[in-house]
Amino acid sequence: MSLVSDLIAVLGRDRVLDDRLDSWTYGKDAGVFRGEADVVVLPESTEEVAEIVRVAERHSTSIVPRGAGTGLAGGAVPVDRNVIVSMIRMNEITDVDPENRTAWVGPGVVNLDLSRHTEVHGLHFAPDPSSQSACTIGGNVGNNSGGPHCLAEGTTVNHVLAVEVVLAGGEVVTVGGGAPDPIGLDLRGILVGSEGTLGIVTKVLVKLTPNAPDVRTLLCAFDSVEDAARAVSGIIAAGVVPAALELMDQRMTEAVENWLKAGLPTDAAAILLAEVSGGTAAVKAEAAVIREVATSSGASSVSLAADEAERQILWKARKSAFGAVAQTAPDYYLHDTTVPRTRLVEAMTEAYAIGDKYDLVMMNVFHAGDGNLHPLMTFDASQPGSFERVRAAADEIVEMCVSKGGVLSGEHGIGKEKRDLMGLMFDAPALDAQARIKEAFDPGGLFNPHKILPQGSRCFDFGRTVPVPDGAWI
Amino acid sequence: MSLLAPGTTAHHAPGSVDEMAELYRRLDADGTTTVVIGGGNHLGVGNPVLADVSVATEALDAIIDYQPDDLTLTVEAGVTMGAIDELLDPHRQTAALPETEPTATIGGVVAAGISGYRRSRFGPTRDRVLEVTVVTGDGRVVTGGARVVKNVSGYDLPRLATGSFGALGVIVSVCLKLWPEPESRATVRLDDPADADSLYRPLAVLETEEGAWAYLQGPASEVASSASIGIVQSDGFTWPTFDAPGTAEMRVPPALVPDAVQRLNVPFIAQHGVGIVAMATEDPDVLEPARSWCESVGGSLVVTSRSGPVDAAPSIDPWGTPPPAQSLQRRLIAAFDPRRIVNRGRLPGGI
Repeated sequence: MSLVSDLIAVLGRDRVLDDRLDSWTYGKDAGVFRGEADVVVLPESTEEVAEIVRVAERHSTSIVPRGAGTGLAGGAVPVDRNVIVSMIRMNEITDVDPENRTAWVGPGVVNLDLSRHTEVHGLHFAPDPSSQSACTIGGNVGNNSGGPHCLAEGTTVNHVLAVEVVLAGGEVVTVGGGAPDPIGLDLRGILVGSEGTLGIVTKVLVKLTPNAPDVRTLLCAFDSVEDAARAVSGIIAAGVVPAALELMDQRMTEAVENWLKAGLPTDAAAILLAEVSGGTAAVKAEAAVIREVATSSGASSVSLAADEAERQILWKARKSAFGAVAQTAPDYYLHDTTVPRTRLVEAMTEAYAIGDKYDLVMMNVFHAGDGNLHPLMTFDASQPGSFERVRAAADEIVEMCVSKGGVLSGEHGIGKEKRDLMGLMFDAPALDAQARIKEAFDPGGLFNPHKILPQGSRCFDFGRTVPVPDGAWI
Repeated sequence: MSLLAPGTTAHHAPGSVDEMAELYRRLDADGTTTVVIGGGNHLGVGNPVLADVSVATEALDAIIDYQPDDLTLTVEAGVTMGAIDELLDPHRQTAALPETEPTATIGGVVAAGISGYRRSRFGPTRDRVLEVTVVTGDGRVVTGGARVVKNVSGYDLPRLATGSFGALGVIVSVCLKLWPEPESRATVRLDDPADADSLYRPLAVLETEEGAWAYLQGPASEVASSASIGIVQSDGFTWPTFDAPGTAEMRVPPALVPDAVQRLNVPFIAQHGVGIVAMATEDPDVLEPARSWCESVGGSLVVTSRSGPVDAAPSIDPWGTPPPAQSLQRRLIAAFDPRRIVNRGRLPGGI
């Protein structure tokens, strides 16, 4: 029997997609890479996923799990002719437990739908990526996704208590649990952020966060990016860790304002969106600190969102910034690196210089409180050589950030995009250890191959007797 | 003071990461088994380790890098809780580590996965280890994570190492995420722990056989308004401790803490909203039924200290029913410690 007919035997004809158009459609995420799938399957239960894994193993075909495809690092893009396992039909929210503030959810549940579903209990799921109206919890788990409100609340891994996962051989296990500090090694912690390379997560026990009784959102305008970044450090140094602290440069503000008419000050070199949440007395006091620090850092204006409607429009401006870029050019390349917060200004200055050097328009909107930069370069992919130019600039930006003590990715993941840059951050023993972790989970290399780890990672050995050929990567 | 774990015949205290790596390359080649010691506070947790030699982290006591403006601190494993507090206090910052164990080392706290009382606000220790360096059982120096507060580059080694009890090797350094200290604090006595339910995310709500307390922090105006739920006992934090040779803790879904407390007739410290109830007893007649109940609600009961020598056979299984995926856990450990010479057998299931 062929792979496709075996899959049809498990799922039925209508949940196995194997024509050219399907392969093409599922060959891409929201980033810039494209691959082509062999076949796409749409399981509806854990048992079906386990059976798909066994079928794929039997046919020596690898598997790429996929959520909504909003990732930017090519994590869901097939490299070989893989089986794409789309998890979107496993989208049930079960066992909402308001007392323990948890819920079991399917990986296909859309991030924002979860918070809407639990709103009746005064609870929400804290990670809020800009794509939250489309991205899925399974994708969030795969990439350990962040979002503006991770500054105070942490990323997805801080909000996932347990996962049910299908491992190699179709073995189903649940790791972690609703009680604190489960015993044994923290397999949950290593699965979150593993980008589908260790197994397929089929169910997630999420921790829900109580909605704050009060919230205040401030919009601060600055005449220079440096002043805005100084305000960010000053706010933290004053002992306030806001719920969110987001920075947008002038080019980005102009693009957003032109489209949304949110009332953003387009004459400012940078704007800072700061939000505090908690008890009424607390938010009042913290908002006052932010106002004071912003003013003493040189803010030309500080305004407080007067009501929920004003607050919502500010957040709409922030979260739809990437969409607004479409006015400028047909394509964009969005980057994601983190540097120590104190090195934000120099990292941004150098990123602009790299953009200029490659003659690219660069915009910035990012999680300043975390030091998590998102330089965005616009281009037109139909122009020959333009994509290569963007990639070269992007790699240079990553190298620059790592040289400042930063990392390859703050919240988007490594995927295919940054796989070959891992050596910038990790030495040979560290990469080898990561490859050994992959091997311990997935000895046959079944799950999402060619992602995260560069070729040749698993080669560190003491007392090596086999000579390494010249030029080999070790 | 040098600690020699009971039953071991030699003691090593390497003074650098390179020395530690060299030591383990040698021990691995000889197949010499080891027990790792930080401050010696948590030796009674887990299955007894019968090892040839003790390896201490006490000489790895350097502060590697403190960046107050980045809220990160990188230290060697042998640095104590007391030393970290002393370093951070003048900067009004905290690592929110266990509050009542000043002699415990950061390596020990991370390896044992111990969290302090402020975890409902700051998360468990595991959520605040940004970077870890381990010397593996076969003497490789492996670093995972990075010294930034937000990072998804590669597999999350810091989380795997936290609570690993040496299964990946010896933790030699860690980078921690810090938090600014608040303007104001209060310890508030409550008539009933449920009185704190009206508060939005208090720092901690603890209960002992002597009563209940809410711990509040934040801007002075917020602390003052929240403190009206009880009687302010202190404008600082007074944390409860045990003075008992044998202790254990129940770990249950947070809403079941009142049920857990109901079941007890021994001294206890209950963390409401977290799901941990520590007990000052090692009596199997108390612990066995409590464990059955904890496991039936999806939790566990773990022995946290024992009277008598730590290499003696315990009166009750220190962990209880092992978690699933034992063979996967073994394969992961083998990736770091192929001959299983570091703290062999200490984890649940005797692995």
